[in-house]
Amino acid sequence: MSNIDPKVLRHKVENINTLPTVPGVLKRLSAVIENPRITLVEISAFISNDPALTTKVLKMVNSAIYGFPGRIASVSHATMLLGLNIIKGLLLGVSVFELMQKAMSGLYEHSLACAIASRVIAQKKGLKEPEEVSVAGLLHDIGKVILTLSFPTEYQAAMNEAQGKNISIFDAEKNQFNATHANVGSWLAEKWHFPRNLIEVIECHHRPALAKNAPMETAIVHMADLLVRARGFGFAGEIFVPEVNAIAYELLNLSESDIKDVLREMEDNMESAEDIS
Amino acid sequence: MPKIPVSKLETGMKLSKPVTAKSGMVMLGEGTELTATWIERIQDMGVTNIFVEGPPIQTISKEEAMDNLNTRFSHVEGKPYMNVIKKIVREHIEGLYEQY
Repeated sequence: MSNIDPKVLRHKVENINTLPTVPGVLKRLSAVIENPRITLVEISAFISNDPALTTKVLKMVNSAIYGFPGRIASVSHATMLLGLNIIKGLLLGVSVFELMQKAMSGLYEHSLACAIASRVIAQKKGLKEPEEVSVAGLLHDIGKVILTLSFPTEYQAAMNEAQGKNISIFDAEKNQFNATHANVGSWLAEKWHFPRNLIEVIECHHRPALAKNAPMETAIVHMADLLVRARGFGFAGEIFVPEVNAIAYELLNLSESDIKDVLREMEDNMESAEDIS
Repeated sequence: MPKIPVSKLETGMKLSKPVTAKSGMVMLGEGTELTATWIERIQDMGVTNIFVEGPPIQTISKEEAMDNLNTRFSHVEGKPYMNVIKKIVREHIEGLYEQY
């Protein structure tokens, strides 16, 4: 059973910056993102000052995850197109990619595929900002990365427990931490002033019926997560497909051909998307 | 649209995505038919993999893919909607093996 106090856990997550294992770019980034008054111009300058980050951002916006027609060649163009909230999420996404792969081999593919699937479903459902949902798909498992960084030994134990007892990583996390990657991810998202909908998607992607502000977005990422596992892309803690939430499934009301389209787009885009890191 | 290592390139293959330099500049456009010269240039560019036209290459056999699918769904057999989802995913994966 867990002996980690939830308050201690939350404190540690919110102060992730002080960990020596967190790479410099993420520390600088969090300083920028935590500022609630940050402007698009400042973010744009921050990205442009870091050539590695610039390349990653441009690769990402030109990838199948967003599906913009034509080529976006400059950071300022990208930030104008995507807007503050999406660019913040995307920056976090590209900066934790390497950490994702270290945290859990395959988590990076899982997250990418989930971002693609989320975008396609959002477009099918006619959502105004499919990019926002795709960022939510990209970041839904961010809590797993944070937990691995803050509690490497305990998280390894949770992963072993999930595998040994054939339970989901979600349940193993509960045993180990009294909290899950969904809680942890949403704490950090809150601390970083992410949009309310994004926080809710991260918090509720395993329990979409609890979403109050963004039930549709949450249902989309829930379904995308499930389809990615069903197809077998990447690895997110256990190989088993979880049961779909009936309320979310009915809310989405996807036809058979809709789901096929989602799978096909994932298939077509995964190879090229893997180049992003 | 398989991505293949540069060492496996053969003349007559067609690029399904442009080959770009590190800066993002397009060196060879989409649809370019590869000649011996182009292959040599690509090898000299230091890129490792490029996209060519053709059916995707599956790394495991169809039987293996079906076994893996059954394992993944083993915890949710018979649960509401899961059989529908599984059927769609199975048909999708079977489709990947029929393009040859």
